[in-house]
Amino acid sequence: MSEDYYDSNTSYKAQSSETISSGSGSVSDIDYVKPKEVPDQELYHGHSFITKYIFCQDAKVIGVQYTLTAVFTGIIGLILSWMMRMQLGFPELFPVLTSETYYQFVTMHGMIMVVYLLTALFLGGFGNYLIPLMVGARDMVFPYVNMVSYWMFFVAVLVLMASFFVPGGPTGAGWTLYPPQTLLEGTPGSGIGIMLMLISLALFVIGFTMGGLNYVITILQARTRGMTLMRMPLTVWGIFTATILALLAFPALFVGAIMMSLDKLLGTSFFMPTIIQAGEMLEYGGGSPILFQHLFWFFGHPEVYIVALPAFGIVSDLISVHARKNIFGYRMMVWAIVAIGAISFFVWAHHMYVSGMSPWFGFFFATTTLIIAIPTAMKVYNWVLTLWKGNIRMNVVMLFCLGFLITFVNGGITGLFLGNVAVDVPLSDTYFVIAHFHMVMGIAPVLVILGAIYHWFPLVTGRFLDEKLGKWHFWITFLGSYSIYFPMHYLGFIGVPRRYFEMYDSPYMTSAVGMNQFISLAAFIVGAAQFIFLFNIIKSLKIGKLADKNPWKANSLEWYTPNVPPVHGNWGDKLPVVHRWPYDYNVPGAKEDFIPQTTPPSEVKDTGVEKT
Amino acid sequence: MSEQTSINNNLPQGFKGLTSDFGSDQTAFKGVNWGKAMMWIFLLSDTFIFSCFLISYMKVRASVVAEWPYPSEVFALDVGGVPVPLLLIAIMTFVLITSSGTMALAVKYGYEKNKKLCGMFLLFTALGGLTFVGMQAFEWSKLIFHEGVRPWGNPFGAAQFGSFFFMITGFHGTHVSIGVIFLFIFSRKAFRGDFDTGKKGFFTSMKSDYVAIEILGLYWHFVDLVWVFIFAFFYLW
Amino acid sequence: MVMAETKKEQQTTTHKIGIYLWIWGLLFVLSFFSYMVDWFQFQGLLRWTLIVTFMLLKAGLIMAIFMHLFWERYALVNALLWPMTAIACFICLMVAEGKYTVFTRLFYFVVGG
Repeated sequence: MSEDYYDSNTSYKAQSSETISSGSGSVSDIDYVKPKEVPDQELYHGHSFITKYIFCQDAKVIGVQYTLTAVFTGIIGLILSWMMRMQLGFPELFPVLTSETYYQFVTMHGMIMVVYLLTALFLGGFGNYLIPLMVGARDMVFPYVNMVSYWMFFVAVLVLMASFFVPGGPTGAGWTLYPPQTLLEGTPGSGIGIMLMLISLALFVIGFTMGGLNYVITILQARTRGMTLMRMPLTVWGIFTATILALLAFPALFVGAIMMSLDKLLGTSFFMPTIIQAGEMLEYGGGSPILFQHLFWFFGHPEVYIVALPAFGIVSDLISVHARKNIFGYRMMVWAIVAIGAISFFVWAHHMYVSGMSPWFGFFFATTTLIIAIPTAMKVYNWVLTLWKGNIRMNVVMLFCLGFLITFVNGGITGLFLGNVAVDVPLSDTYFVIAHFHMVMGIAPVLVILGAIYHWFPLVTGRFLDEKLGKWHFWITFLGSYSIYFPMHYLGFIGVPRRYFEMYDSPYMTSAVGMNQFISLAAFIVGAAQFIFLFNIIKSLKIGKLADKNPWKANSLEWYTPNVPPVHGNWGDKLPVVHRWPYDYNVPGAKEDFIPQTTPPSEVKDTGVEKT
Repeated sequence: MSEQTSINNNLPQGFKGLTSDFGSDQTAFKGVNWGKAMMWIFLLSDTFIFSCFLISYMKVRASVVAEWPYPSEVFALDVGGVPVPLLLIAIMTFVLITSSGTMALAVKYGYEKNKKLCGMFLLFTALGGLTFVGMQAFEWSKLIFHEGVRPWGNPFGAAQFGSFFFMITGFHGTHVSIGVIFLFIFSRKAFRGDFDTGKKGFFTSMKSDYVAIEILGLYWHFVDLVWVFIFAFFYLW
Repeated sequence: MVMAETKKEQQTTTHKIGIYLWIWGLLFVLSFFSYMVDWFQFQGLLRWTLIVTFMLLKAGLIMAIFMHLFWERYALVNALLWPMTAIACFICLMVAEGKYTVFTRLFYFVVGG
């Protein structure tokens, strides 16, 4: 393996002839790729069941572990949302659900879905599986740290789940955990529950940092020969930028969690003002509750893009492959991802317009928020233009991509409403906000995840998922989630507040009782449809249609490993050499409608292939 | 991977080098070892943690209505009955900067593959760090037992003074302590010659290399760097 | 300029011991100066300016020389320094926020809710 590695003094001739030896045989300078800079990676190969499947150092296994754990917590989040909709739609039907449990379910649903499902699944799951394969590395650069990262995440999930079983139950403060109410007795779970939540978040941040350093360094420092940053699939770009955001944003959450747990445990007053609880003056005094909101959203807004950017990247690749067309404006797409990532650190307080912060901030944050819409809109145009005159294959993956596009535009446009201070003030804390963020960072990324699983399932298992079940799954999920969230915009406009346990006979509700019940019914159906998907996965694992080596005829490296599904070390004896971007579909004059990234230029000389 | 550095001589420099590095294949940071790149990015993330601590401190201190205790007096040390302001802190700063200097020399001798001097300077650095932690423990106990400063309140003024003091110096002290542990381990490894023989690590089963000293050095200098900010913002401000 | 850069590039990893000792000494001197700011009880704008100047000088020296950032390629230097703009923005906004919070506290204390 290490004969690929040259000292820089080796002469040019020797390098170029060696490089070509893997190609077609016609030696020419246009196929020259720079020699290897970094010696080949040493890997620890597991031998026993434990080192191969449990404490495994193979990024692919770790990715699957992350995915399974995240999906498991996601199912719990889904069941919690069922309970919530049960209470909201049919308050009398389910007397076990008290206001306390309702708030606990709201809190856990939010935290699970945002952090433990979406972040872990996109970065931990897809990141681990795809990054080394797509950039042509043998594994993550620090496999051991990577393994520890997963197990930290696992412990974080266990701690979070444990809070369901402690006295007082999990915290019911809402996923934003705003003090002072988080720590006051009236809030459910203000004892052990909130402590477990904070510990779990701190563990998650530590574990994620270990993984995140791996992803970043693998992408920056361990790409294969010929793989420039501008030849990486957009999936990798999305995950890369999101990981950087996470590494820089999670510290704020970590600090907030430490300070709040000190407020709880030691009675410090970082966030706690002078306050009276049930007629009794508490020991606290002089703290700044708004500081927590700033810390939380300094993390929280980048977090939105931590979820969105990998989805942007993955959907770009899926659209390109299944429309058989190069992605429109690749470089613009890359720079848009980077710009969104950078600007996302300067928009956080648009979540706080009604919080009592300095009123001057509204100008600043409304402006930056509208600016961030520009690169986002560019991306949407480019997706549409990629589809334009493409050879669109209407399979399940493409359906999910189209579903994403529509949903994302919907959620994005309501975001423009909420980004403007004057429009936000009447709309904040209504169902309009719920509809907005579920559309834009709930449904849209989940549709991408589902599409991505249909797309990469043959790579991971060697079998297809069932198309027929998949179509049922898609249409129920897509139409169902629109039935849930579209009416919510209207509920918001008529002033129905969010986070109310029951609406009773309030005047705005009487006109919308039926709609509210309809939303609940739709939620039950959409949730149930996800079990079709789980059934599909289990069924296809056993008896799914066998897939060829590169079933979608894609160009990116992950489909070109010697073994499919890829084994530990990914590439066998020789690392791949990359000569082009991964989007050469339907190139005029080419023999087939796709040119893999590994095809040297001399093989496609007479085609209209672009220089990338 | 130290051979990598020879490649760098042929590359463009300055901002031209910036664009050519990011436009190139394989690596974006030319000649930077994986572990070193990881440590830099980790330190960037850690910088955000300490920044968030200090920003919170600034925000709360700016908005408390109660009187903020005067650090110059709180942290004074009696020498023969005369209170000398910030004496202990000055000595702690001295010790930490000294250890940073010995660490720089350890890195230098590490690169020269001089295992004796490298190990010795690592040991000096570890001892410096240990002294620092010891003095911090002394400072804490003095504040707690003699001055009556508690995380939740103090006799001098705003309660947040003690809260932030213990939290920030505690977090920094944790960093120092972790560094000291690793310094002792690496000093032993250097004396034993692990970095020359490329002995495999106990946990990661990766080969030892002198670049590990530089990585540890980055961490140690970062701890010193954070102290510079804490010194300025907490003791002098 | 170009010559200077090629020269410094050749000595990426090993440097003469002198430079470390110089910087070491300089750090002591700067620390001493910032200690003196407190000793002589400079107050007001002068105090803040001196403290921040000495702090940034020390931080810069540690990063540039001890952490070898001066000899690193611009790619790494830029990747590390640009994210600090987010911190700078956070600091500026929190200064404003702190002032506003104390204003509201005093205002409503005096005027009443």
